[in-house]
Amino acid sequence: MSNVTLYSVSYLLSDAVLRAIGSVLPRPLSTWITNADLITGIAVLVFGALLLAASMLNTIVLIWWERKLLGRFMDRRGAMHVGYAGLLQNFADGFKLFRKTTVQPREADPLGFYTGPTAYMVTSMILFGILPISSGWNSGFLPLSLLLALAVFSFAPLFIFVSAWSSNNKYSLMGGMRSAAQMIAYEVPLLLAVVAVVIVAGSFDLTTIVYEQQNYWFWGPLAVALIVFFAGMLAEMERIPFDLPEAEAELVEGWNTEYGGMLFAFFMLADYLRALVGSILVVLLFLGGWTLPTWVPAALTSFPLAGIVWFMVKTYIVFGVFVWIRASLPRVRTDQLLRVGWNRMIPLSLLSVFLAALLVTVKCLPVFGCVPSLGV
Amino acid sequence: MSSEITAKEKPGEHPVLWVARPMATAARQFAKSLFRPSTIVYPYERLEDPEFRDRLEVASGKPFGVGHVWDNYRGVHALNIATCISCNLCAFSCPDVCIEMVSVPGGDPKHPKKCPQIDYGKCSYCGFCSDACPEGCLTMTTRYELSTPKRSEMVYSPEKLHEIFRSKLPMNPIRLARPENEDAILLDPPLCIGCNACSRDCPTQCITMLDIPKPEAKPGEKLPRRIWKEPVVNDSDCVRCGTCISVCPKECLFWGTRK
Repeated sequence: MSNVTLYSVSYLLSDAVLRAIGSVLPRPLSTWITNADLITGIAVLVFGALLLAASMLNTIVLIWWERKLLGRFMDRRGAMHVGYAGLLQNFADGFKLFRKTTVQPREADPLGFYTGPTAYMVTSMILFGILPISSGWNSGFLPLSLLLALAVFSFAPLFIFVSAWSSNNKYSLMGGMRSAAQMIAYEVPLLLAVVAVVIVAGSFDLTTIVYEQQNYWFWGPLAVALIVFFAGMLAEMERIPFDLPEAEAELVEGWNTEYGGMLFAFFMLADYLRALVGSILVVLLFLGGWTLPTWVPAALTSFPLAGIVWFMVKTYIVFGVFVWIRASLPRVRTDQLLRVGWNRMIPLSLLSVFLAALLVTVKCLPVFGCVPSLGV
Repeated sequence: MSSEITAKEKPGEHPVLWVARPMATAARQFAKSLFRPSTIVYPYERLEDPEFRDRLEVASGKPFGVGHVWDNYRGVHALNIATCISCNLCAFSCPDVCIEMVSVPGGDPKHPKKCPQIDYGKCSYCGFCSDACPEGCLTMTTRYELSTPKRSEMVYSPEKLHEIFRSKLPMNPIRLARPENEDAILLDPPLCIGCNACSRDCPTQCITMLDIPKPEAKPGEKLPRRIWKEPVVNDSDCVRCGTCISVCPKECLFWGTRK
């Protein structure tokens, strides 16, 4: 099973399609079109298209998942009319947004107004080329993939601020400034929490980090880092209770006030892409990625694509926890947010780094592997 | 300044509870909503549906909550064309002027029968028309679903109202104005003031005001101030709608049997 990878699937696809076309065409063209370099080139394109399609599809299903969960938290049913259990509702919404006119404010700066959302969307999608989904299901061997992922992840405040500023609207600008302040404040504890993981795993490669969790998932030994990472991710995703940048009651819609139609859809999609990436990172760093504990029966882990299935299950559960927090907690004030960020999160993350270093130095990590419990 | 804010924020419990308690509440709500949701998915589940009420373990005859429909609920009208006497009283009494008398097929082609056609875009469901109906042929049912994409479909023709009558929905109790076997309009002459209200409002114009002789005033007696006319009802034209009785300001008209 392990030799089926995303690249081999796309290579097979491009090979089959190009050979089918070559069998129809006359001689000189058919040899040219079935040439190995062309097949490889098309395979790379198919690879990207598959990644894009998978990430878009997952994002839309994630919105559906959030709507259904949030509905139950509020004693409603969520979307339920379009498609089975409302699964197609978000596609319908997407088509509606796609067909709408984009209204550009007269005083807006067109360069920033249009490049902001586009760059935000694109940088969020780049992340999917970096993250491994299952063994072999990544875009290649990247020794520093975790660092790259977090670096790309932290582009967002720049583009948010660009689009907010160029909208030429005071609410957008305030939302953009809040967003920048919040993301920068929480970037530090987020990265420090990741440092704890890196110390224990001994690698910046996400695949290696997952395989380091074969015996015990990192949520046991690195519980403090998990809490800090989770809170930091909440702030990075701008989700309730840290959704100050688009606080509806104060700032209309925050930094995307002036955006409508497809540009708003870009923001919406990119937000959920980042939420998906955040959940995926939690799963990869702390919940063992696509692996399952050893005491799980082999029948549950040996079926085709089991890694991807379990990975998606974990990701959606982690996102469910984000939704749970959204359903429970009120929005915090700016001063509370920044005080928690600088006064609580940074000491906690430093503590988690210290704990990780201590665990590695005294070599007591295997203890967690011996406890036959949920700690795994 | 910041210390003041900090002091105000402490409600006396551990800060972890600020997060843990609402999350526990939300989780409880989530679990309850999964197994026993409070919402009713209306177009698919309705409270008046006996099957659904059985699922909720509510006895089917028992009133239940907001969604229950009682038989005095004022919904769409039901019209029995066969017993309608075209008296026009429903259209008279309608405060929204949404009832128009239109001819229905059948009967004498020269004098077609007219029955009410109701525009539900204007109707306020006050029920005056069914109260006014002397024959009890226009009543209101418990049907309340009228949404339609076209405004023209809000106008219900007499035939359509008759269809609703035939569908045997629960109907409002019928208020019959006319007692059994009393089919004539009688006059209590001393009370009449000759005001012409009955004649004016009669839908079939079967009431004529006839002059009566003004009596000689006896010495010491004062004659009543009135118009010296009295209504005479043409029984063959009368449709027994009772409008005259209801409009009479002195209550001098009443139902009775002509000897």
